Amino acid sequence: MTDNEWPTLLCDNRRSGGQAPQPWRAPQKSLWQASVEGGVRGAPILRDGLLYVTSLAGYLTAIDARNGTVRWRFDAESPIHSTPSFSGGQVFFTSDGGKLHAVDSNSGEKKWVVTAGAESWASPVVSKNTIFFGDASGHMYAVNLADGMVQWKRELGGKVYSSACVAEDRVFVGCGSGEIHCIGSRSGDVLWKTPTGNGIDSSPAIANGTLFVGSLDFFFYAIDTTTGAIRWKYEAELGISSSPAVSGDAVVFGCKAGVLRALNIQNGKLMWAQGLGQAITAPAVISGTTVWLQSGMTYAFNLSDGNLLWRARLGYSLQAAPAVTESAVYLTSMEGDVYALG
Amino acid sequence: MIDRRQFVKRTCLGGFALCLDHWATSPAYGQDLIPPAPPIHVNEPAGIVRSALAMPGLFPGRVIEIDDTRAIVNNRVSQPVIHGMLERALRELTGARGVREAWSKFVEPKDIVGIKINPSGAPACCSSPEIVQEIVAGVHSAGVPLQNIHVYDRYAYEIDVGSYQTLVPLGVRVVGVEERKLDASGYDANIYCEANFFGEWETRSYMASIVSSNLTKIINVPTMKDHSAAGVTGCLKNLGYGTFNNVDRSHRRPFSFTDPLIGVMCSVEPLRSKAVLHIMDGMRMLWHGGPLSQNSKFIFPAGILMVGTDPVAMDTIELEKIEAKRSKEGAPSVWSRDPKSLTNNGEEFYEDSSKNLYYRQPHHIAAAGKLGLGTSDLKLIDHRVLGTGG
Repeated sequence: MTDNEWPTLLCDNRRSGGQAPQPWRAPQKSLWQASVEGGVRGAPILRDGLLYVTSLAGYLTAIDARNGTVRWRFDAESPIHSTPSFSGGQVFFTSDGGKLHAVDSNSGEKKWVVTAGAESWASPVVSKNTIFFGDASGHMYAVNLADGMVQWKRELGGKVYSSACVAEDRVFVGCGSGEIHCIGSRSGDVLWKTPTGNGIDSSPAIANGTLFVGSLDFFFYAIDTTTGAIRWKYEAELGISSSPAVSGDAVVFGCKAGVLRALNIQNGKLMWAQGLGQAITAPAVISGTTVWLQSGMTYAFNLSDGNLLWRARLGYSLQAAPAVTESAVYLTSMEGDVYALG
Repeated sequence: MIDRRQFVKRTCLGGFALCLDHWATSPAYGQDLIPPAPPIHVNEPAGIVRSALAMPGLFPGRVIEIDDTRAIVNNRVSQPVIHGMLERALRELTGARGVREAWSKFVEPKDIVGIKINPSGAPACCSSPEIVQEIVAGVHSAGVPLQNIHVYDRYAYEIDVGSYQTLVPLGVRVVGVEERKLDASGYDANIYCEANFFGEWETRSYMASIVSSNLTKIINVPTMKDHSAAGVTGCLKNLGYGTFNNVDRSHRRPFSFTDPLIGVMCSVEPLRSKAVLHIMDGMRMLWHGGPLSQNSKFIFPAGILMVGTDPVAMDTIELEKIEAKRSKEGAPSVWSRDPKSLTNNGEEFYEDSSKNLYYRQPHHIAAAGKLGLGTSDLKLIDHRVLGTGG
């Protein structure tokens, strides 16, 4: 993967929300703006010069990242909330119709489809030729990338709107019952589960053997990935749906009270906090020394001290995570707009 | 004051027409400033036989209030405490010995039940997921399969902010009627209220299809909030403005026609017949800045639950409580018509409880009473306060 690629939700399978260091440079202008049919709830992903965007009208649209031209679109015949993932020349996404779709990235043609038990908003994660995703029936699924065969299916006891992350043959995901689960990626066995005080719809992230995840119980957790033991937890003002981003010593997340925070990953001590005045539900993204966040407006903050570097008002309906590369920032809006800023 | 007598026509499908006199109860604005509310034409299905459970429902004029300081602590709602409060309130409302028997007075196993939440103040002040979970459990206990229970509201995005999808039990569907602005695909083209308030280009408000076609019963879960245009948002507004689209047009600063539109909308069938029970979530009382404020200084952890079938009586009690709280905090009455309290500055409104964007219209509650939806006379309301816990 190069610095100009962003092939899955929050950039990589660990959902770290960050990538290689880049110098801060404020976007100077809109490179292009495009529209897709239907509102967009998922984040864009980028691979090989194509931006892939899902929409509530049921389309996966491939857009030329250089100029915003639509290359192709695929009709899933059901609203799509999930962010797609790219692997092996295929794009994968789940739909409200309870299906996991595999689409050829060049032609936009269907490769295969798997039917789950209920709607799925969770973004699939791909690791070692296996796709993992959860659905509202409370199951996690492991599906063979090549042919769509279901390898295992595991009931978790609560609705799964959290997108899983993967590290070292383990899949980590939260669910509506409030538990964070660690599942063996090959066996589908639950290796451990750690309860929190309310449901989880935030997607966990992993760094340095620690899992970071927010819960609707107002707490942000750091959990040992091997044992499931809670290393520390930090209390916010309201529930946490925003997925964290990790870089260096900092983990950054927002809460529904509209406060963006950076905590030290070792001990959970507060490094800085910024009040934005509007509920934060979108994940933060870190690019080099910059934290990107969308909460009504699009913001860039300095990672080290939280100072506001830049913000833009592109409408009030920006909530998804951006995709950030060396040359551009790609954004989607709930109204179906796609922006490239550079 | 002028006599602002209003006349509302109801035009039913199939050529059957019924005319209904309606006297909006609000004192008029200065006659020079705004004309009286225009006629509201209602298009609704012909031949609907009003249900015995139709508003004001099985227990007209009865409001059960229960409060418990343990219900909300550190801004967290306690589901075990809510469980006990709701059970006790329902038994008191219905006279049933058991809670299952109480629920069975409103729903039966063949029903498709909608739980109409109010997520518009999410995340700071919205229908508590803990209460929604208890309602789901109660409806399920009466034999309704979880798959036939839908939690819904008009705005999908606000539902998302409240995380209801994640928190409701497995099997329960969460439905947002509108996924994006100006999305009319989830509305029934044959059922609407039509009126031209301010010269708007779209003069119709359509009923959500989930209400007209899919659901057989509705349990209404409003919150306890001030409303800058309506005075308060309670059972009636959560139901009326949460069922029909294009409702913002009823208020344009500083004027509001929430009276009589809210009541008229609630009177439209099949909404009136399907809304069988109201459970008002007063865990957090927003006493200024409603309906959307997130300002914690105006959110009081009241820990109140109110239950009834008469939305007018419940909103009347709610109005009393909001008024009392505002008075205690030194804020002007929601009945105030003092032009000095008006501001066009939204930020000022959200910070200063003496300011408002509109002349509020709490009279919409009494107006709904005149449409037969319930009792607004405090002397006639059977208001039972159960007190702490138990």
